[in-house]
Amino acid sequence: MKRSKTMELGVGLFMLAGILGLLFLGLRVSGLTFDMPGDTFRLEANFANIGSLKPRARVTMSGVTVGRVTAIELDRDWYDARVILELDAELEGKLARDTTAAILTAGLLGEQYIGLTVGGDPEMLVNGDTIRDTQSALVLEELIQQFVSNMVSD
Amino acid sequence: MIESPLVEVKGLHFSRGEKTIFNGVELQIPRGRITAIMGPSGTGKTTLLKLIGGQLTPDVGRVLIDGHDVHELSRKALFTLRRRMGMLFQSGALFSDLSVFENVAFPLRVHTELPEAMIRDLVLMKLQAVGLRGARELMPAELSGGMARRVALARAIALDPDLVLYDEPFVGQDPISKGVLVQLIKTLNDALGLTSVVVSHDIPEALSIADYVYVIADGQVMAQGTPASLDVDEDRRVSQFVHGEPDGPVPFHYPAPEFFRDILDLEGRP
Amino acid sequence: MIAHILNLGRRGCDVLEALGRSGLFLAQSAVGVPSREGWYLWLRQMHFVGVLSIAIVLVSGLFIGMVLALQGYTILVDFGAEQALGQMVALSLLRELSPVVAALLFAGRAGSALTAEIGLMKATEQLTSMEMIGVDPLRRVVAPRLWAGFVALPLLTIGFSVVGIYGGYLVGVEWLGVFEGSYWGGMQSSVAFIGDVGNGMIKSMVFALVVTWIAVFQGYDLVPTAEGISRATTRTVVYSSLAVLGLDFVLTAVMFGGFS
Repeated sequence: MKRSKTMELGVGLFMLAGILGLLFLGLRVSGLTFDMPGDTFRLEANFANIGSLKPRARVTMSGVTVGRVTAIELDRDWYDARVILELDAELEGKLARDTTAAILTAGLLGEQYIGLTVGGDPEMLVNGDTIRDTQSALVLEELIQQFVSNMVSD
Repeated sequence: MIESPLVEVKGLHFSRGEKTIFNGVELQIPRGRITAIMGPSGTGKTTLLKLIGGQLTPDVGRVLIDGHDVHELSRKALFTLRRRMGMLFQSGALFSDLSVFENVAFPLRVHTELPEAMIRDLVLMKLQAVGLRGARELMPAELSGGMARRVALARAIALDPDLVLYDEPFVGQDPISKGVLVQLIKTLNDALGLTSVVVSHDIPEALSIADYVYVIADGQVMAQGTPASLDVDEDRRVSQFVHGEPDGPVPFHYPAPEFFRDILDLEGRP
Repeated sequence: MIAHILNLGRRGCDVLEALGRSGLFLAQSAVGVPSREGWYLWLRQMHFVGVLSIAIVLVSGLFIGMVLALQGYTILVDFGAEQALGQMVALSLLRELSPVVAALLFAGRAGSALTAEIGLMKATEQLTSMEMIGVDPLRRVVAPRLWAGFVALPLLTIGFSVVGIYGGYLVGVEWLGVFEGSYWGGMQSSVAFIGDVGNGMIKSMVFALVVTWIAVFQGYDLVPTAEGISRATTRTVVYSSLAVLGLDFVLTAVMFGGFS
């Protein structure tokens, strides 16, 4: 059977393009990274209320993404939400112990993410530490309730 | 003739839907001869070939090829048996995406492990036999009907089969092509020691090469014999068919009410 | 009345019988020993059903992505949420539009061609003659086409998504002025690779199987006349479109419907 090189080339390119496309969807669209586990370190933070924070949400400092939320679970000792963060390994040992973590919202209806603000404690956070100082998500209903009760009491 | 026939068809019944096509057909195809199976259009001659080739299964009856019951074989054994058969289809049935050369090489490639050089020699030999060695690079769409049939014949004999089935080889051919095909079937049969079964309703051509003839009509073998004996057969149905008379036991008119009554509308309109 | 019930029953039996036949057909063709020859036949069909469908799929993907961005922007901007545009475009494409639209285009472009091609081979007795040569046409003709379709459609779906997301970028970022960082950032934070891209791919594979199966079966099973071929081609497009849309609902309910 006669083999046509152009056809083989066409099919080869087609399949290659498909694989590259899948890589694009993985890296650029769903933001997968090929970081080694050693490239990150873990911190934990307990929040009274996480709002609609989801795993894989961004963790930022001054608006710059420095990590991701990897897991959210209920802390059975305190009955609040324990959030596991994974941060760039470069930051290990450089964040003060009194760093605060706040759940923020991008825009009025946007996604929720965690913002870190550095403190001034001389001791630094290392892998596995817990951030003590946290600020829960703003829940719209609570805000309105507060606002209304303030109006009434005025 | 002492040796057993190559193909035996015993008590064959076959129907398609409500319509009975064969109702107890008995055939014996002798080895090394050309047997013609003739009959009016629509009597299921092609169906008979498909039954012999094992593509259709009869309701009742058996088809034995060299002692093997075709319809009792496993799919694999049937495909093995088919390597010993070649079939020439009415339309040629060349693979339209392969060149003439590749069409003839196809059975060799799928059934043998021969080196490319030997395949080439064999293909050219077969093409030479049908006079189309020069057309090997053409595609089937570029061939005339007669040429396509000759290529198909070369393909059918590519594996040197024992049995070649010809389905209406002469239909729609000009006189020259007919002559060529008649010649080819005869010479190939004699030169290669094949057993040939020719299904046809082209009487002069079929009778000119056949050693033995079966005439099939109404689902049964109506007459059999050598071409000479059929030519003088007393049976009116046989003589109508063999001599091509327009009216006779096979009526010219499709069954209908009497013309006079019909045209005066005495039966009420349908 | 009785006659109607009888008729219904007969039709039911016909449908069941056709389903059974096509199931056997699928099982017989899909199972086969891969060979060098088979590989090459598959390659030819990949060219035929895959490479030749690239243009229509990519162009449609680009336009669908652009339209999505345009429509999405006008809705989102009312809520001040236009930074969610990337997320919206990517999720609609990956989860829903790419698999479905690519499958529908594939049914129209490649499926109908497969039916017609196999039907023509049947009408010209090529399949029968192949059988008489001792080659199983299910292996030789149907299997490479089935596998080529099964591989080609998911690849085309990936292409559709990529081009669609790029089309959304062109309209949203380059034209309507959504901030580039929030287009990609919103997308990355909301698209899950396994959950969205992966499920979209699974959908696409299911559609690929169903569309190619319908196409080759209709070709193999048709009445070998000119009219039969044209009818079977129409049936291929109609049945595969309906099957794709119906299955899409089922798959979406299972994957994203929140039942578990």
